[in-house]
Amino acid sequence: MTSGPAEIFDLGYHGYEGERTGRWARRGAIWRDGVRIALGLGRGVGAKVAPWLLLALALVPMVVLVVVAAFVGPATNPDDFELPSYGDYYEWAMVPLALFAAVVAPLLICPDRRDGVLSLYAARPITPLDYVGARWAAFGTVLLGAAWAPEAVLFVWNALDAETPGSFLADNWDVVPRFVAAGALVASVLTTLALFVSSFATRRAYATVAMLAVIFIGSAIGGIAEDDFSGGAADAVSLVSLPQSLVDSVHWIFGDQLDRPVSGGVSLLWLVGLTVVLAAWLVRRTNRLVRG
Amino acid sequence: MALLRAHELTKTFGRVRALDGVSFEIDEGITGLLGSNGAGKSTSLKLFLGLLDPDSGIAELLGRDARSSPDVRIRVGYAPEHDCLPRNVSAAEFLAYMARISGLPSTAARLRASDVLRHVGLFEERYRQMGTYSTGMKQRVKLAQALVHDPVIAFLDEPTAGLDPLGRREMLELIRRVGGDFGVSIVISTHLMGDVERACDSVVVLDAGRLLRTGAVSGFTEETETLEVELLEGAEAVVEALRVRGLEPALDGRRFTLEGVSGDDYDTLRDVIVDTGARLYRLAPARHSLADVFTHEAAPEPSETEATS
Repeated sequence: MTSGPAEIFDLGYHGYEGERTGRWARRGAIWRDGVRIALGLGRGVGAKVAPWLLLALALVPMVVLVVVAAFVGPATNPDDFELPSYGDYYEWAMVPLALFAAVVAPLLICPDRRDGVLSLYAARPITPLDYVGARWAAFGTVLLGAAWAPEAVLFVWNALDAETPGSFLADNWDVVPRFVAAGALVASVLTTLALFVSSFATRRAYATVAMLAVIFIGSAIGGIAEDDFSGGAADAVSLVSLPQSLVDSVHWIFGDQLDRPVSGGVSLLWLVGLTVVLAAWLVRRTNRLVRG
Repeated sequence: MALLRAHELTKTFGRVRALDGVSFEIDEGITGLLGSNGAGKSTSLKLFLGLLDPDSGIAELLGRDARSSPDVRIRVGYAPEHDCLPRNVSAAEFLAYMARISGLPSTAARLRASDVLRHVGLFEERYRQMGTYSTGMKQRVKLAQALVHDPVIAFLDEPTAGLDPLGRREMLELIRRVGGDFGVSIVISTHLMGDVERACDSVVVLDAGRLLRTGAVSGFTEETETLEVELLEGAEAVVEALRVRGLEPALDGRRFTLEGVSGDDYDTLRDVIVDTGARLYRLAPARHSLADVFTHEAAPEPSETEATS
């Protein structure tokens, strides 16, 4: 039995009279959507396989190494088992991170183009720069997390494994800004490159193949230039190997001394310049695509 | 204040002049932007939305130039003609997202998404992926996403495209309801005169980038002084008898028309039909149609504004 008088609920149309959010909240909505797409959240199992597998490939080896160091390391000769350095780990992690960018980043751009959703963004209270900026930030956030997490695990383990964690932190505080900068560099370059390539394709598969081609063909050309030729021109051409340039830059950021034909500092400048140019081109292209 | 105002609006694409100095205003209610392909309808919409820069002239949306700030679009909805819905997302999720990027907080966005989907008849299907929807359902989602953030005005580009006659009628009824019960002004861009006659209060007629006519739809479809009569049988006998009585009907098969009829003529016609035993099927005053605007035949005097360009 009802305890109160009967009530008629008006199910007619009601306008919205509540608060309206500002532009940053609208950008935040696009960012949040981009993160969900990148991680396959709210999608079927199939959409989760590739991103989580590749993220695991970037992170799990470091976790395994730390676990091995924790349980096996004390019983072995320190010379027989050594954890990788912060810079060395990128030589392994670069592959899954680049694959993650190639496979997942197109999902943030290509379906919007293929399904015509860009015209809806155009009519919303945002600009094309808001759209592409939020998409860039979304994928960059995920990639940044994937780049930072293993380094953070290594740093925390090194601190816990030290005889006096306090003195370790005091002696190695500069590692934190270095791995923050290294992760930001890797995430920025791969995100910008992947979204730029994706902006030219309506299908994810095409964008993925194009991105892999840029990486692998660039690596092959750079490798040949480095191995078979010498001189300034060959050194310059070797920079087109983006993964190698990234690794060299990361080592430079961590202060590692490597015998490379091009210094890590030069590689870093090249990557920053390339990223800025591609980002500007991406913005211009998105502006044209969104406005139809 | 007019919701939309175009003043001497001109836009060219290379050698093609999409709009040629057109001026018109659109007020509250449901307005049809009527014209054939290439008439300048889509260009007009993009200019109002601030997505294109005019070569000259002014395009004002809610009293502002949309190019000056995207914020003016916070109270504007838009449903394009082409497909614009992601396939692997549910309608509820997509509408909530569209509401959030139009300025609604998350909770309100979810509530509005469900509410609007109920109003367009998709409440039960709201969690299905949109890739599985029929054409009619997709058109409803397109309408819903244009309304989810409670706009003052919504642009609908060919909202009945691809629909069968029943789906088309339902969509036009839904649009009438949105314009009436919901209080959202609607601009329908279409080349279908029937859609405008059924759903719109007023119309702006464009042709090859020029403004042909603008005014209330009722002004274009008002009754004429011509009477149309259709008989199942006996048309010749009726026509002959009318001529004997001094009238001048024009026979066309089973139908005939009478020009300039008065009250007495109706009585004469009734008597003749009874006397001859003819079987009456239809008798009604002829109406002007929007097609007259394009054919330049028997167009009524413009009720509001005639093209100046």
